[in-house]
Amino acid sequence: MKNFYIIIVAVAVVGGGVLYYAMSGGTPTLEPVELGELDNAELIELAQPAYVFGDDDAPVTIMEFADYQCPVCKRFGLFDKPQVDAEFISSGQAKLVLHDYPMLDLHPHAFLAARAARCAGDQDRYPEYHDLVFDTQEDWSPMASAAGYFKDLAAQLELDTSAFNSCLDSDEHARVVSANMMLGQAFQVSGTPTLFVHRGGPPVYRLGGSRFLDVKQAVESAGDEN
Amino acid sequence: MAVAILSLVGAFVAFYLLAANMGWTPPVPCGSGDCATVQSSKYAKVGPVPVSGIGLAGYVALLALALAGLQDRLGRSRLIPFLLFGGALVGVLFSGYLTYLEAAVIKAWCRYCVASAIIITIVFVATLPELKRIRRGMGA
Repeated sequence: MKNFYIIIVAVAVVGGGVLYYAMSGGTPTLEPVELGELDNAELIELAQPAYVFGDDDAPVTIMEFADYQCPVCKRFGLFDKPQVDAEFISSGQAKLVLHDYPMLDLHPHAFLAARAARCAGDQDRYPEYHDLVFDTQEDWSPMASAAGYFKDLAAQLELDTSAFNSCLDSDEHARVVSANMMLGQAFQVSGTPTLFVHRGGPPVYRLGGSRFLDVKQAVESAGDEN
Repeated sequence: MAVAILSLVGAFVAFYLLAANMGWTPPVPCGSGDCATVQSSKYAKVGPVPVSGIGLAGYVALLALALAGLQDRLGRSRLIPFLLFGGALVGVLFSGYLTYLEAAVIKAWCRYCVASAIIITIVFVATLPELKRIRRGMGA
């Protein structure tokens, strides 16, 4: 019986330790990363971002690789990004450059969602569609086919549905979304959201699954360097 | 004894899932396991209560019952093995349903949910010998 209590206390201590590590260990240590020089001019030209939130001339760039079917991207896009907007983007200190990184093996609708958002962007409604796609993620994510749902969202935003539907039914934006994925691969993106924060050059800070406070720390550090 | 130890392990797993569900843990990027998809699905809650919270309550109840059954005063109680068996059976059925949802509806696997399903299944199996012993005693 004494052995039993020793075992149960040992399990409690080990389990508590693992839990403590899991709950606190994710706070990133902000270390600059080497992105390397991309010498593929064609890829750089083709991998145009889905959208730039903020002023093009803002000194700090937050480059986000996102997947519309990823719940963590949803959390960042709807919860953390508005805080980044309020603190850094609306004041002109930073811009958020959104790149598509649909993870096809995990999220079968993510590529189509990225294209759909760009189709909305053709009608200058990218930010609204971005928020609506994330907001309804739980509804369309388990569907066998999400194309009809994305068209309904366009109608809900009172877009020109004829133009939107023909954009979505074609292969419009497929090449640029694929190029965005290749750009992410070149930057060794392995999960979403992945953020790179920089001031036009080194140091570049890399953040994964980020929270506002992590972004704030990175933006302030990038801003301090120059 | 095995039931108590396994229930404690299960409670830690359930607490971690609850913490992730409530946003108490740092977010883990998509692509490093698909727990986020499962945890953010509409099946992750029963009304306002996270499923992981129900799991945690279940494991804590099983742990408390198993520890009570080890006390001299309650050691001969026939009720506790039946309660452990019943509780574990409910847990196995509930976990089976959640595993079905992962496979067929959400189409994403959370390794911690799978770990919990395995743990509760082993807990259920571990309750059987004591139950058999009591039934034999009742038959004698």
